[in-house]
Amino acid sequence: MTTDTELNPEDFVETARAVTTACAEAAGLPERMDLLAEAGLTGILAPEAVGGMDLPLGFAVPVLRAAGGGFLAAPLLECMLLARAFAGVDDALASAIVSGEMPVTVAWSGMLGGTSGVVGRAPLAEACARVLVLGADEGGVLVTPGEGAMVETESTLDLERPEARVRVTAASGPELSADAVARLRADALVLRAALILGAAEDCLSRAADYAQERVQFGRPLSANQSIQHHLARDCLAVETIRNNIHRSLSPECAVPAAAARATFVGAATLGARVAESAIQVHGGMGFTWEVPLHRHLRMIKALAAQGGAADLIEAVAADLLANAA
Amino acid sequence: MTQTALAETRTAEQGMAAHARAWLDANLPDALREDRPSTRRNTVAELCDWEAKLHRAGLVGATWPKEYGGGGLGLRAHLDISREIGRTPMPESVNSIGKELAGPIIMAVGRPEQKAEYLPAILEMRDIWCQGFSEPNAGSDLAGLRTRAVQTADGWVVNGQKIWTSGASKSRRCLLLARTGPVEDRHRGLVLFALRTDTPGVDIREIQSIDGERSFCEVFLNNVVIPEEDMLGSPDEGWAAATRVLSIERATNRMHRAWRFENQLNHLVSACLSDPATRHLAESTYRRALAEVSVNIELLKGHVETLVGSLIDGQEIGPRGSLPKLFWSEAHQGFARLALEIVSQFPVEASDTLRVARKRMEDIYLKSRAETIYAGTTEIQLDIISKRILQLKRKA
Ligand SMILES: Cc1cc2nc3c(=O)[nH]c(=O)nc-3n(C[C@H](O)[C@H](O)[C@H](O)COP(=O)(O)OP(=O)(O)OC[C@H]3O[C@@H](n4cnc5c(N)ncnc54)[C@H](O)[C@@H]3O)c2cc1C
Repeated sequence: MTTDTELNPEDFVETARAVTTACAEAAGLPERMDLLAEAGLTGILAPEAVGGMDLPLGFAVPVLRAAGGGFLAAPLLECMLLARAFAGVDDALASAIVSGEMPVTVAWSGMLGGTSGVVGRAPLAEACARVLVLGADEGGVLVTPGEGAMVETESTLDLERPEARVRVTAASGPELSADAVARLRADALVLRAALILGAAEDCLSRAADYAQERVQFGRPLSANQSIQHHLARDCLAVETIRNNIHRSLSPECAVPAAAARATFVGAATLGARVAESAIQVHGGMGFTWEVPLHRHLRMIKALAAQGGAADLIEAVAADLLANAA
Repeated sequence: MTQTALAETRTAEQGMAAHARAWLDANLPDALREDRPSTRRNTVAELCDWEAKLHRAGLVGATWPKEYGGGGLGLRAHLDISREIGRTPMPESVNSIGKELAGPIIMAVGRPEQKAEYLPAILEMRDIWCQGFSEPNAGSDLAGLRTRAVQTADGWVVNGQKIWTSGASKSRRCLLLARTGPVEDRHRGLVLFALRTDTPGVDIREIQSIDGERSFCEVFLNNVVIPEEDMLGSPDEGWAAATRVLSIERATNRMHRAWRFENQLNHLVSACLSDPATRHLAESTYRRALAEVSVNIELLKGHVETLVGSLIDGQEIGPRGSLPKLFWSEAHQGFARLALEIVSQFPVEASDTLRVARKRMEDIYLKSRAETIYAGTTEIQLDIISKRILQLKRKA
């Protein structure tokens, strides 16, 4: 791992914001992948041998936070993690992911029985060249749509990264070990929380701005204590997500796995609450398609499902009972 | 500090968690354990004795300077110790006002002779302190307090009334906030004293609280003469300095809370699992709700640990201290409500294990009602966040 002490995760904030803005103007996924790759963001975690920057997970956080806040319509989280995971397994493939030539995604939900089955919740699978599908042995196979696998349109909440289903008849392609998949899933928890953090921050900032501009009863909405307290609670929620991402990545954290799990579950719940609250503060305007608060809410709900928030709460329960017994 | 001294401090800090754990395991008397049956209440003398022992073991005052009886260590050591104290089901300090409020204020504004007199006495549990801020007409609106202090040749003469003063009847000193001018002066002209509670004219009356205890008091002050040397800071600066300290204290006091909260949750769950008649409560009926409490506890740790990190990095905490206060008070009340609902379903003829857990959870439930009131109510914390963190516009 690079020990270049000159670099700081916050150094990526500006770049990530600028690239996210540029991506919003781009025509399609290939253009967006080019922009992300040019800025080095797809390879932020991957080793230098495949063209990456070899930086620790903490560096991906501000990038995904900007992506979450800026409606980035690209599988950046998946590309970051898959480029790192396939380096050393298939360097040519990892390089193609880093360079932006090969957009890849993951079917986060379900697993194959043997070499076939239907898996789902693969963000942007219809636009991606490869999809990682998980097997019953807890390893993963990177399948190519059209070659023993078919991507099927799915009804989906997320507008930026619509999810699809993948029907696999004969899984074949480069493989990841169970350990590699476990690492990928664990790191994805914190990165999803970062996407949610960005979205929640944007919801809060839009709601605070709107509350101070909109006048009713001859004064801004923000002159009412109930609105102030709504926003104060949202501020607490945002800060809770932020502090817990920080804690999950801190070398001082005693049980990072438990911290990451709570961070993601907390982010899924609190982030959605902030988005819902922002809609409420906007009144009728909040219910319009045009005001993009619903886009954040949709993304947060999709991320909650991709990360298996409900299963993770069950895992927390199981641990609690085991520890107390 | 020299390089070697720094290195020594760091080594001492690193050993603290293990030392604290081993010491607490070996030394906490059964009678003081909150997860053991007990037929009587602990006396103040017993609690003082226990806390003095904690201090001698280096588990109290870790961050205070060595010359005042502290450990001279950093905040990280205090966090490590707090985790272990939290994990141990022991009573809350009877002198947390002394250790976490008066002490830091004295360190910030006290004169050298005041520090030498007051600080070691707090750690050694010779002096218990109480906090005389709130008044009948000055609760959330603290700046409306009316207790007057007039300077005379013999010292300050103080008249007025305090209320909700926790532990006043057990205390030897009161951190008293009074004003030197008219009420209209609000935040200006406020002065802090280290009042001895046995001074003539001090009349302390206990108030019974909803948990049945006499935990707080009314304090009447009738021509009480306070010597000049017991004034903290100067008449106008005392308060400003104190509020600076208070914002840090709000963020860091009872740092063990998240881990004590976890201990309470584990106690509840293990009690449920101890009996075939109650297993289903934890295993199925309330399984998800209990897991959500567990997630909240982790999130609370995230607040505490990140804040400690910021303080170590020298960042200002300011109004951000309201965030963890708001989070823990509401999360803990949520747990307390759930815990009471669960223990209410324990069978009538319960085992000792179930009975002890039921008693503890009932007590936690009642006491938790105060958590959204003291140290600034929930509404006041929300006001602070919206005013000072979000800086929302309040007028047209
Ligand atoms: C167990 C316990 C121990 C305490 N210990 C001490 C102690 O040791 N020393 C000490 O000095 N004090 C102590 N207090 C007092 C505590 O700080 C006050 O109770 C608290 O500040 C609230 O003041 P109050 O009781 O006068 O309520 P009030 O200020 O009258 O508030 C009543 C209700 O109105 C709400 N409210 C008030 N103002 C506003 C506003 N602007 N906007 C919206 N809502 C508002 C409050 O949130 C609350 O819900 C203790 C209190 C308790 C419960």
